[in-house]
Amino acid sequence: MAASTKTSRSLMVWADFLGLALALAVLVLYFSMTTENFFSVTNLKTIANQIPVDLVIAAGMTFVLISGGIDLSVGSMMALSAAVLGVLLGPSGLPFGVAALACLATGLALGAANASLIAHLGVPSFIVTLGMLEAARGATFLVTNSQTQYLGAKIEWVAAEMFWGISAPILIALVVVALAHVALTHTIFGRSLLALGQNEEAARLSGIPVKRIRWIVFAVTGLLVGLAGILHSARLSAVDPNAGLGLELRAIAAVVIGGTSLSGGRGSIVRSAIGVVLIAVLGSGLAQAGAQEPVKRLVTGLVIVAAVILDQFRRRAR
Amino acid sequence: MYKFTQVLGRVALCALAVALFAGCQAKEAPSAPGSEKPRIALIMKSLANEFFKTMAQGADDFHAKNGDRFELIVNGIPNEEDVAGQVALVEQMIARGVDAIIIAPADSKALVGVLDTATKQGIVVVNIDNKLDAQVLTERGLTIPFVGPDNKAGARLAADYLATKLQSGDAVAILEGIPSAFNAQQRKLGLEEGVQAAGMKIATSQAANWEMAKANEVASGILNEHVDLKAILCANDSMALGAHAAVRESGKAGQILITGYDNIAAVAELVKSGAILCTVDQHGDQLAVYGIEFALDILAKKGAPEDRQTPVDLVTLDSLQSAPAQQ
Repeated sequence: MAASTKTSRSLMVWADFLGLALALAVLVLYFSMTTENFFSVTNLKTIANQIPVDLVIAAGMTFVLISGGIDLSVGSMMALSAAVLGVLLGPSGLPFGVAALACLATGLALGAANASLIAHLGVPSFIVTLGMLEAARGATFLVTNSQTQYLGAKIEWVAAEMFWGISAPILIALVVVALAHVALTHTIFGRSLLALGQNEEAARLSGIPVKRIRWIVFAVTGLLVGLAGILHSARLSAVDPNAGLGLELRAIAAVVIGGTSLSGGRGSIVRSAIGVVLIAVLGSGLAQAGAQEPVKRLVTGLVIVAAVILDQFRRRAR
Repeated sequence: MYKFTQVLGRVALCALAVALFAGCQAKEAPSAPGSEKPRIALIMKSLANEFFKTMAQGADDFHAKNGDRFELIVNGIPNEEDVAGQVALVEQMIARGVDAIIIAPADSKALVGVLDTATKQGIVVVNIDNKLDAQVLTERGLTIPFVGPDNKAGARLAADYLATKLQSGDAVAILEGIPSAFNAQQRKLGLEEGVQAAGMKIATSQAANWEMAKANEVASGILNEHVDLKAILCANDSMALGAHAAVRESGKAGQILITGYDNIAAVAELVKSGAILCTVDQHGDQLAVYGIEFALDILAKKGAPEDRQTPVDLVTLDSLQSAPAQQ
């Protein structure tokens, strides 16, 4: 009896991925038929090397959404972290290790600032991170003096091909996804987070340190943002004051496509990662098909909504 | 304790708001009562964009030297697509009763309405950088002088230079700016004309909205699909940097030529190292100054305003080496 419930549960988990995998397969099939070189190893590598930033941010965003909050500031915070990296590595000429640590520290500090205001002062995360979205962008302009910094060889090696066309950033991102997945599914932190998202009052009464959990969620997101700042700069070998514009919405879209509830209490890191891949495949495929901007935006919007609707139907059917 | 921190937080927030407000107020240059100096508002696009930042800096420097001739108020919108934000800025400047508005419109049509209002109030309006749509201006019976570069001719310079490095029949791709912006359209036209005149083939032309990361994504896709591609022509330098990163990642560095536009410092460096073929300098630091001088002329003479063209120059490895003093 117990064994059979266990099997059916694990079956259900797999069925969970089915809708998303199907949507992804349809996209890949469509682009493979309409373009010459979409379905190729080269393109697989290109897409793999494009998604690390989004994967890392989406992992943080999944935690945030599960906690019932939202983080609108990830794009701006990433730009500011990257700006610190760029200034230390470029004009100041410090070694990469120092600049990278400063970049991570900036992300963590910004995340911790969000976290403290949200967890300890009880200001809604929407407001706090909306403020941070503006403030961090302003600080980025100050730090970079609104100028794009070209870093070239000083950072290029981070994103260089290691083997089979795979670069370090994608491996780092996959490790982050794996760690985040384990943290969510196999730790007390993960269970507490889900409980907090489902019912904060009940979680508090059952002795879960909700403030601390919430603080950790936003601070960790900040740290991940710092990491994303390094990966982003390495990929473009430049630091750009407009980096990460609209990243928050792309991350939220990926996470929601992955079935994480905007009202909290439910979500999966792995599914968010599939959401990221889906959006990347869409962007890459549309560019290869030579689609014009209006078509790109229309299609992207429709696919996001369609993916979520598909997901809801599947949930209701269960 | 909890209440105390809550109260403390609110007090801190209020203090912050007051400080911010005071900060904004302090930026305004104090105007002596009865002063005759004309008040000129410079309304830019994104001050985050290096190009506009340089332009504003040029205007500030000019003002510092000519402070006795006019007062200057510099404004910008947070991002280039924020058309509504720019309309609101113009409205604020009208309300403040400025004598002239120098504007780099975020959109070549959407700003015409509010600029019409400004003109009707007797404010001298001068259009810089991105030209307002001629047809919309005519429909409203409005003449707003344009002081600035010919973006189409500038883009043509880049394409013509590229043509000297390639052969007829070679495939190239174009990365466009925001499709609704006039300068993006003009640059696209100039690039297309140059490419076609040389008999090269446009494999694809797509918008990357002036952005580096977006250009990187689009260029990666294009490089993958069009394996015989020889060059990527970009409508601005940020996109050229994004394309450069995509080319490097595809392992085709040195095989694909890249052209830019704007001559930002980061790209000038890459032109020097040969990684980017060329860019185009439209002397951004002087654009706003040209506009201000023009507005002062009109205010002094009350003459009929006419368009005035400013120089555009091709920047290549050769030009950088022969003129090391520049940049």
